[in-house]
Amino acid sequence: MNRCTLLFALLACSHLSLISAAQQASESKPIAPDHIVKMKAGTELFRDVIRPALVENCLKCHGGEKVRSGFDLSTRKLLLQGGDSGEVVDLKVPDDSYLLSLIRHDDEPVMPPAQDKLPDKLLADFAKWIELGAPYDKPLLEKIGDGPKSMRVTESDRDFWAFRPLTEVAPPIVESNWPKNEIDPFILAKLQDNGLSPNPQIDDRTRIRRLYLDVIGLPPTPEQMQHGLEISHAALVDELLDSPHYGERWARHWLDAARFAESHGFEQDYDRKFAYHYRDFVIKALNNDMPWDQFVRWQIAGDELAPNEPLAMMATGFLGAGVFPTQLTEKEFESARYDELDDMAATVGTAMLGLTIGCARCHDHKFDPIPVRDYYRFVANFTTTIRSEVDVELDAVGFQKKLAAWRDSHALKESKLAAYRNRNDIETSFENWLKTEAAASVSAQPWSMLAIAFATSDQAATTLTEQEDGAILASGSAPAKEIYTIRGSSSLRQIRFLRIEALTHTSMKRNGPGRASNGNFALSNLEVLVKPDASSAHEKSTWKPVKLNSARATHQQNTKHLSVEAAIDQDTANTGWAVDFGGIGKDQAAVFVLDAPLEISNESELEVRMTFYNNSQHSLGRFRVSLSDRSDPPVRVGDSQDPGMSAAIAALESGDLQDEHRTTLFSVYAATQPEYVALHKAVEQSLAEKPQPKKTKVQVSSEGFPPTKHHADGRGFPHFYPETHFLSRGDPNQKLGVAPSGFLQVLTKSGKAEEYWKQVPPEGWKRTSFRRANLANWLTDPEYGAGELLARVAVNRIWHHHFGRGIVATPNDFGLQGKPPTHPELLDFLSQYLITSGWSVKQIHRKILLSATWLQNTTATAEKLKIDPENQWFWRLTPRRLEAEIVRDSMLALSGQLDEKMFGPGTLKPDQSRRSIYFMIKRSRLMPMMQIFDQPEPLSSQGSRPSTTIAPQALLFMNNGQVVRWAAGFAQSLDRTDAAVAVQELYQRALGRAPNESELQSNVEFLRQQAASYGNDRGQELALADLCQVIFGLNEFIYLP
Amino acid sequence: MNSLTNRRQLLKNAGAGFGSLAFASLLAQEGMLQAGEGLDPLAPKKPHFGGKATSVIWLFINGGPSQVDTWDYKPELEKMDGKELKGFDKNTGFFAGSVGPLMKSPFEFTPRGECGKMVSSLFPKLGEHVDKMAFIHSGFTESNNHSPALFMMNSGQPRMGLPCLGSWVTYGLGSESRDLPAFVVMSDPLDRGLPKGHAANWGAGFLPSVYQGTWLKPKGDPIENLNRPTHMNSEQQQRQLALLQELNQQHQKSAGELELEARIKSFELAYRMQNAAPEAFALDSEPQHIRELYGLDEKRCQHFGRQCLTARRMVERGVRFVQIYSGGMENQRSWDGHNDIYGNHSQFAGETDIPIAGLLTDLDQRGLLEDTLVIWGGEFGRLPLSQKSNKPGRDHNPHCFTTWMAGGGIRGGVTHGESDEIGHHAAVDRVHVNDLHATILHQLGFDHEKLTYAYNGRRFRLTDVGGEVISSIVG
Repeated sequence: MNRCTLLFALLACSHLSLISAAQQASESKPIAPDHIVKMKAGTELFRDVIRPALVENCLKCHGGEKVRSGFDLSTRKLLLQGGDSGEVVDLKVPDDSYLLSLIRHDDEPVMPPAQDKLPDKLLADFAKWIELGAPYDKPLLEKIGDGPKSMRVTESDRDFWAFRPLTEVAPPIVESNWPKNEIDPFILAKLQDNGLSPNPQIDDRTRIRRLYLDVIGLPPTPEQMQHGLEISHAALVDELLDSPHYGERWARHWLDAARFAESHGFEQDYDRKFAYHYRDFVIKALNNDMPWDQFVRWQIAGDELAPNEPLAMMATGFLGAGVFPTQLTEKEFESARYDELDDMAATVGTAMLGLTIGCARCHDHKFDPIPVRDYYRFVANFTTTIRSEVDVELDAVGFQKKLAAWRDSHALKESKLAAYRNRNDIETSFENWLKTEAAASVSAQPWSMLAIAFATSDQAATTLTEQEDGAILASGSAPAKEIYTIRGSSSLRQIRFLRIEALTHTSMKRNGPGRASNGNFALSNLEVLVKPDASSAHEKSTWKPVKLNSARATHQQNTKHLSVEAAIDQDTANTGWAVDFGGIGKDQAAVFVLDAPLEISNESELEVRMTFYNNSQHSLGRFRVSLSDRSDPPVRVGDSQDPGMSAAIAALESGDLQDEHRTTLFSVYAATQPEYVALHKAVEQSLAEKPQPKKTKVQVSSEGFPPTKHHADGRGFPHFYPETHFLSRGDPNQKLGVAPSGFLQVLTKSGKAEEYWKQVPPEGWKRTSFRRANLANWLTDPEYGAGELLARVAVNRIWHHHFGRGIVATPNDFGLQGKPPTHPELLDFLSQYLITSGWSVKQIHRKILLSATWLQNTTATAEKLKIDPENQWFWRLTPRRLEAEIVRDSMLALSGQLDEKMFGPGTLKPDQSRRSIYFMIKRSRLMPMMQIFDQPEPLSSQGSRPSTTIAPQALLFMNNGQVVRWAAGFAQSLDRTDAAVAVQELYQRALGRAPNESELQSNVEFLRQQAASYGNDRGQELALADLCQVIFGLNEFIYLP
Repeated sequence: MNSLTNRRQLLKNAGAGFGSLAFASLLAQEGMLQAGEGLDPLAPKKPHFGGKATSVIWLFINGGPSQVDTWDYKPELEKMDGKELKGFDKNTGFFAGSVGPLMKSPFEFTPRGECGKMVSSLFPKLGEHVDKMAFIHSGFTESNNHSPALFMMNSGQPRMGLPCLGSWVTYGLGSESRDLPAFVVMSDPLDRGLPKGHAANWGAGFLPSVYQGTWLKPKGDPIENLNRPTHMNSEQQQRQLALLQELNQQHQKSAGELELEARIKSFELAYRMQNAAPEAFALDSEPQHIRELYGLDEKRCQHFGRQCLTARRMVERGVRFVQIYSGGMENQRSWDGHNDIYGNHSQFAGETDIPIAGLLTDLDQRGLLEDTLVIWGGEFGRLPLSQKSNKPGRDHNPHCFTTWMAGGGIRGGVTHGESDEIGHHAAVDRVHVNDLHATILHQLGFDHEKLTYAYNGRRFRLTDVGGEVISSIVG
């Protein structure tokens, strides 16, 4: 670079980006001689006139608070980029600029909108300014990270170990026969460098016990121990990795990193009832060895990448698992949303990338190359992402398959039935029956159901549906008060009585028949109307009230205001038929007597109007309306005919049999024919077996679904804002322009632009922005995106949980403040292996579990401890206390009470019998037994749990009622006939080994003394339970051997 | 060493260990025990410099006490009674729709103590102690909403999930008591609920959970797992523990791990706790004059009196940090006087006046006040305007509140900062919540900028990026 160009470069840098932008625009041609002069004049014009005009009239919608039509004019570069409709400023033919035609009102939409045209002088200045090259003296907004002092991400930043590309490494050559696989030479080399040697290998029983606790989190039974001794280590590793319990144990580690909980936190701490699906997703994904990149992709954007996969929808629960304050004042709305966005971005950062992105919220990251600009661009990926609860078809593909298969088989059964009906001999026989036996066979019932035309409530919340038995079922949430209207017809020619049957159903409290919280109802008023000829066009003139003059019922609540007659008294709102005090949970009937017999025809229409105003939600849940022409029909439930049969009987009597009557009567005839009965039954059964879709409510994090409602909706909380802004010092009141979505520069290689990872939505897709899909692509791209760091962080977590310490000792921080890797080559080797094995997590487990490194025993010598007290070079397996879940699950398993049911909603009951991962995690009610053993509070991502030893843990082993009960359960399962035998068995089951001589003696002696001290017939039993409790308290029981 | 330390020492050692025979061998390995102690996350630790206070009793006036009706006398407000406050932002409080005019305090103020501090008639007894108190009238906070403001006051930020002051103090100082939890919290025992945000107010956040506050259950046994299983007697449990220790010792001989040694020791500590803790909660052993001092025989204040007395007994036994919440959740269940400020504050002041005065007297007469810092304050203040209601109340005010501290090296009879003439905004020498925390930590011997914990790539501290010690009130 010669002096002259250097000077120019300096000038350009100091003079604003606009010159370099202009340079780019005119790259191919030489710079015009008057360029500098024009730019200077233009800049002055901009500063004095144009800038104030843009700020006052345009900026708010174009870069300030919004970016309307994709057009942002906050910087010159963006101005020249134009918007959705293309170029806005034309530097070549300035007067053709779209901007000018809009502000001149020559073109639609006029700008600024809904305002008078700008003054002519100003319009002329705009034209002049564009002619001068539309220069800016500085951006309209000091966008964050654009200032001269803001952080630039450089190649040297990318040279930090964690951000460097993975190196192809081969295990070092070591002179030893100790190594069992590729891991070991890496470890051995470092041990040798530090004057250490590996520990001896553990014995077989210890190995099997360690493997069980490490891989599935439960101790081996004596049978499993025996089996383990009989097969190879590799075979046992495979078996355990294939166990469904593997996912139940290892999912918990990821749930810590994902700050997973099932409530909002803060003051109301509302439950998130459908959040447990995320926990199930993690367990299933691990059990299925879902590739880690897919595991990550689905958690970020499963709803966009695989919307038909239930697991992918469930996976998005990750983003919405953080806390959220549901009681908000208007002043807090926006900051609460930014906190929520921060929670999503920060958790993605720490859990997936080991980066503390959240630290760049108020300023450039103090240590890592994450400018505050990157932070807001990263956050912007989640701008419109909210928590929703949606119905997900659990097995869409399977359902369609099953349905198709069912349709085929059902059609066959139907056709057989139809063929029977069409047989000539059957037809002949039926005709005979009609003539000879029909009249006697179809004896008419005293009650005939109303043939329903429609049934409706005046309240939208209630839906009335006709059921097969002619009854009407109310569903939906019961409104306080409502009126039902039912219309229909009857084949009777005269009506003397009307009956309402109030029927039970499981959908109601105490089975109803009412919808009130106690199962009751109160029919405040019953009205009947008739329209003699339904075909008549003059409705008004033809609807007539039908007078009811008395009533009787199977049960009435009292004889006064809640009697059956109260439904037809003068008071239409405060008195009515109710059935409490003996009538709840049973079918009831009320019969109303018409003042005079009502003559009707086939064309007549009846309306029954039921008012439920007595008491809140006291409407009928299920009921049936029937009519009678008898002189004294029974007052009870039943004895009714459906309308079709009533009509058929009438037709039979009158000798005017139509096709529909014949069909109805055929079913009566055929019921006597065994062949028909069998065919009919097959069809009925087939109908009952029709496959149903398996929908389930799932909490997802997505866009465009209705938000999960909460307290703050009452004040109008918007759930999200359409744009994310750059904020000064993280303060939503100090906005610095709209932040477009983007990724972290430091993890973006070869200068690739965001577009590189752009995923095109399927055709017609509108619901979501696909920003998260793009992010997922970038995150999992080892070539140009963050994929290699993603692999390093994943591998390190696995290592960390197997050894109690990661190769990077700070699993959530791979930045400059974190600890550097002790074995960087090994980390790279394993990361590479993860990627090349198709991101198989189980392959990494296998590698580790089969290594000589993992098989070392725990013994410490003073010499080794002196060289490496923290065991950072892995010269042994550090003995460590089992995690809270394994401590509890081990006791539970030995008690014989472990319920192995997997998945589904969890519980808050401390004494539940499923594995600990199925405790519901409610932030205000964390499980004391989990907390006491250091299960972290689910507030932000946790990469490693502390392991504390405190007196309250000891108190738990000594006094906790649950522990005492588990010990009793354990004792129950032991052979009590001989103390020594019991102790032998106890040791085998709890510790996977036989007691030594001195242990045996002490235990037997304890049993003798303890039993004697109880001095009753239960002494032995109690003593053995007390001994089991002692064993639960052993260090050996709760430490990884 | 003063006599106080000796008394504490004495009480600490009072609980007897179990199975002394079984421990003979253990005690012989004194070296191992010492080493094991290094792993104890609650072992006593020294602060940055010699602090004046070694324990804290925080009387959390839950719901937001009204400054202008308690300690911050505003004669100007009296003159402006009934007038509109021009330019008032209706979204300041919680109910934008029921903003009333300025309202004078319904309580009378009279000068009290030698310093002549003007105190409202709400505190006839507590007013006697103003010469022990340092008043801060210029506090302000960042949220007008209970739970964020509670989190702010407890953890320095209006968000959920950060360690609270008590956890930081326990993390920094460890515990003096081997028989009792280091940090205890008492909430309303009258079924009026927990402070908003529940246990997150005494949570350890990202600090190890051993530093979280132990919530004493208001009913039944205050601490979990303190009682021996009902089916066995003491001798039988001791036999169990003796066997346990013997087997653990045998195992330990081959393993030689310090952590395992520490765990063996934890059973001894647990056994001592089981014996000593119930004694600490046994208020019946207190003489009549002490009962009267705390108002234990007066119906309206006995529940709070018992908690104050328990607090003293805790502090006496080396408990580091005690927090008591006056009132339950919100509205009429705590000091949250949206409706009828007169009735609300009369009730809650009535519940606490005698007990807190008794606590100060008792701590003082026992020489405990010297190194026990007592704090009185809520999560925010209340507006000088009325909130429209049947009987007028006052809405939340994040811009101004009063806190007082006493004991633990705090200067008595002084006032720091001023609110504006009507008590609406903190005006002179404004005190942010971070400043309050910095001052409390200072009294305990900490430089608040140096008490940090590394988590997810950052060194966190209670005062975040703020905090300044209020030098005028520290002795």
